[in-house]
Amino acid sequence: MTLDRGAVERGLDGVLPEPVREHYVIVGGRRFPPKQVVSLLTGLDRADFTTHQARRVLKRLGFVAARKQRRTVGTPPAGGPALPHGGRQAAALAPYVGRWVALGEPDEVLVAANTAREVVAWLARHEQRASGIFRVPSSAAEAEGLAPR
Amino acid sequence: MRFPFLELPGERQALLRPVVPVQIEDLEEAPLLCLLDSGATANRLSAELAELAGVSLDSPLAVDELAVAGLRTTGRCVRVDLTVASHRFDAPVWFCDPWPFGFGLLGQEGFFRSFRVTFSAAHDWVECSPERSAAPGRDPRRS
Repeated sequence: MTLDRGAVERGLDGVLPEPVREHYVIVGGRRFPPKQVVSLLTGLDRADFTTHQARRVLKRLGFVAARKQRRTVGTPPAGGPALPHGGRQAAALAPYVGRWVALGEPDEVLVAANTAREVVAWLARHEQRASGIFRVPSSAAEAEGLAPR
Repeated sequence: MRFPFLELPGERQALLRPVVPVQIEDLEEAPLLCLLDSGATANRLSAELAELAGVSLDSPLAVDELAVAGLRTTGRCVRVDLTVASHRFDAPVWFCDPWPFGFGLLGQEGFFRSFRVTFSAAHDWVECSPERSAAPGRDPRRS
């Protein structure tokens, strides 16, 4: 079987990433556990290969592989805007405008999907708890408190 | 309990919004972020959330046609348990379909009546603490 970059991207289209514990690869702007990607695309049982082997394969195809870092709280970038999370939260949400998201840490998107139902189902399936779910507004008007008067 | 404002991606700079996570009934794993809207008379959420939380809208206390942000929507009012800042309380909620906003809205009846709320826009946080003696709620059909 031959894997190429396009096949990986196509194969993950519409697939929700599983929770990232430590290692991840970035495909189509989303973070996937490497073993999820390789297992899904090859049909191999996850017990038959290691995370490092999966990372190596995906890196060879040109995908960025990284390790989740513990963040330092309360140190906004020098000279950055005076925002509650130093702009990191807005940056984390930017790829998901118009979609429902579940936040874990303030700047950690656990999952993004087109409906609240998909987000809630994902949380239940993976026994994850969000700090909050919402649909990222696609315009300033959607983020206003325009309640009926 | 203090909540930092939510940073949203904006065209030129991040938008900041005072939101709090609200657990609907027993949907613990997915609290809905709701915007604190002191100008709103009532709590209003997407009807999609009612179904996910197992809240029946079959026998609402009231039904109303509303205009929200230029959109006609149907609101069904039911009483549900909400949990905010570890405080669980019974509140009237209008579940609306369709719902154009990214958040739920928390209004006077059903939220501000039950919580003392302090905003610090200068420091980008909002603090909510349960009122010790909330006045009894009004008829939800008036909210």
